[in-house]
Amino acid sequence: MSREFVALAIMGIDQHENGAIAVARVLREAQMKVEYLGKFHTPASVADNAIKQDADVVGISCHSWEYMRLVPQLIEELRMRGSDIPVVIGGSVITPEDSEKMRQSGVAAVFTSSTDGNKLIECVRALSGSRKRSD
Amino acid sequence: MEMSTRSGIPLQRSYVAASGAAERPGEYPFTRGRLASPNTQTAWIQRELAGEGDGRRTNQQIRYLLEHGQTGIDVIGDAPTQSLLDPDHPLAREAVGTQGVSLCRKQDFLDLFKDVPFDQVSISSSAPAFFALSGLVLAAREVGFPLERLRGSVLHGPLYTEDCSYAWHLPVDFRVRLALDSIEYCSRHMPKFHAYLEDTYFFSESGLSPAEEMALGFVQLRHLVRKLIARGIAIDSFAPRIALLVNCGMDFFEEIAKIRATRRLYAKMMRDEFGASNPRSLSAAITSHTSGLSLTSQQPVNNVVRGTVQALALVLAGVQALEISTFDEAYRTPSKDAHIVALRTQQILELEAGVAKVLDPLGGSYFIERLTDQLEERIRARIDEIEAMGDPEALSARGFFREIFHQAMEDAQLGVEKGDVSLVGVNVHTMPEKDDTLLREVATAKIETWRGHTKKIEHFKRGRNTARLCDRLDAVAATVTASENLIPPVIEALDAAATIGEIVTTMRWALGMAPDIFDHPLPQREAGDQHVA
Repeated sequence: MSREFVALAIMGIDQHENGAIAVARVLREAQMKVEYLGKFHTPASVADNAIKQDADVVGISCHSWEYMRLVPQLIEELRMRGSDIPVVIGGSVITPEDSEKMRQSGVAAVFTSSTDGNKLIECVRALSGSRKRSD
Repeated sequence: MEMSTRSGIPLQRSYVAASGAAERPGEYPFTRGRLASPNTQTAWIQRELAGEGDGRRTNQQIRYLLEHGQTGIDVIGDAPTQSLLDPDHPLAREAVGTQGVSLCRKQDFLDLFKDVPFDQVSISSSAPAFFALSGLVLAAREVGFPLERLRGSVLHGPLYTEDCSYAWHLPVDFRVRLALDSIEYCSRHMPKFHAYLEDTYFFSESGLSPAEEMALGFVQLRHLVRKLIARGIAIDSFAPRIALLVNCGMDFFEEIAKIRATRRLYAKMMRDEFGASNPRSLSAAITSHTSGLSLTSQQPVNNVVRGTVQALALVLAGVQALEISTFDEAYRTPSKDAHIVALRTQQILELEAGVAKVLDPLGGSYFIERLTDQLEERIRARIDEIEAMGDPEALSARGFFREIFHQAMEDAQLGVEKGDVSLVGVNVHTMPEKDDTLLREVATAKIETWRGHTKKIEHFKRGRNTARLCDRLDAVAATVTASENLIPPVIEALDAAATIGEIVTTMRWALGMAPDIFDHPLPQREAGDQHVA
């Protein structure tokens, strides 16, 4: 089976990178391929990049409340382009209530600062695997 | 088991008297403190970071804090302001007013400082220095307060701005120029103002050790000092107004020793390397924030304790001003409740615990003195190592520092994951999410995006005298090319209703760069507009 490929990004002008960089390391150590797209993305630019590079999973790091509006827009942008790439999000600012809202808008998994590294890996692997099978 | 500090200095189980240098507070090399008798109304300036929504909203926050005994002001811009983007910029819209105050035009600064007693409190800004300074000058001018009496500070971190803070999307040499222009302007017009607060706080929040934090801070400080001297400005005309904003993490004794070592290093450097002779040029003023990075989203009430311990370390180290990162930091900029807890913490430390009654109360402790010496050595060695690599601006441009910050971010996370660093409530003594409720509701209360303010700015932009505005923007562009001081034309552009976003776009255009990362348009002259010189 080919390696899981995760595209990570930060949207809007949220510029706290600690989380994204830490998650990139955890996934790489689990032998996944990780492309950190960096900061200053719009929903459209993340969707374009993820599709062009054929990512298995898109991960968005959220450390400002911009994500509440931008993440649903990202899912819409992906689906508009006919892509079913699952979107996962993570960040310390995500409360349990907001996490529920995000799931309802189509986010495949939500991670917080309490999420265990192994659980994160397992979840990304499962999402990526189910997508590969349905290809 | 081997023990060490965060900077990796090995710890002994106990210490004996070292060489026993008889240093005194207020005397060279100032290890034990800047002044022999501090002259502030409180033992240190007690303030808390304020900023949300628009200028008016933040003005209310400031007044609330002043009414409750705060003795200084510090204002932080929202993410667009920190990034030099206007609220109506396509990338900025969702972040207006949520993590600080939105400041993009003269009126915002007037609203922000309305009825603030400039003669009684110092005004610090944690917003981009060049524009925070220009806005403050306009606000003082508006009420006829003389510039030469303004007290306060602005932060500079031009080498590291793009790497671990709010990127400005401006090249490093130009960021350095903006810093130098600000400092030079103040050295001429604002003798009581700390024109250069070397900001080691923001970049050390990547997770740097205390020794690494100060080494990188000194590399930048030394670079700017050399450049100012090269401009022909006498060291003793600007050095007395340099201050350092340092971080304070949880390694209690090391943080205290760090500040003592910093004062000693600074004094030696200013005297022996830069030839300063005014005693005020030799004694570093230190201001400080407790570490936001050390605070956790789990069990937010624990953050009150962390803030107290760090604040105690800072007071024992003899800082001139202090801000406590509040318990809701992991989620938001401080709420009213968080503000009052932090301010009261400072007041209790001073008035009840009385920990500032004696200067440098830990001076002479075998352990603290030894650790101070060791930190001085470590910091000095690291400065020399980095400076030997070449021009710091070139190092910055090629991503050398970015690598250091990214590595620190990884290492900090790894330390917590592996349990090398204990974080109560995160990797030890955790509790199930359903039980973790104390202060949670307060800590997670959201600030809605200030869309109304963005509409107001859009309306404002449509109603301006574009001829006068374009003339002033042209003057900014001409000054960029002419390499003269940019502060005066920028103040005049803001006065003619230009926005910060437009001024930065103009600067980028004059530098031959793309207008901005999203090609946001500049104002155009309208047909029939009167040309006002």
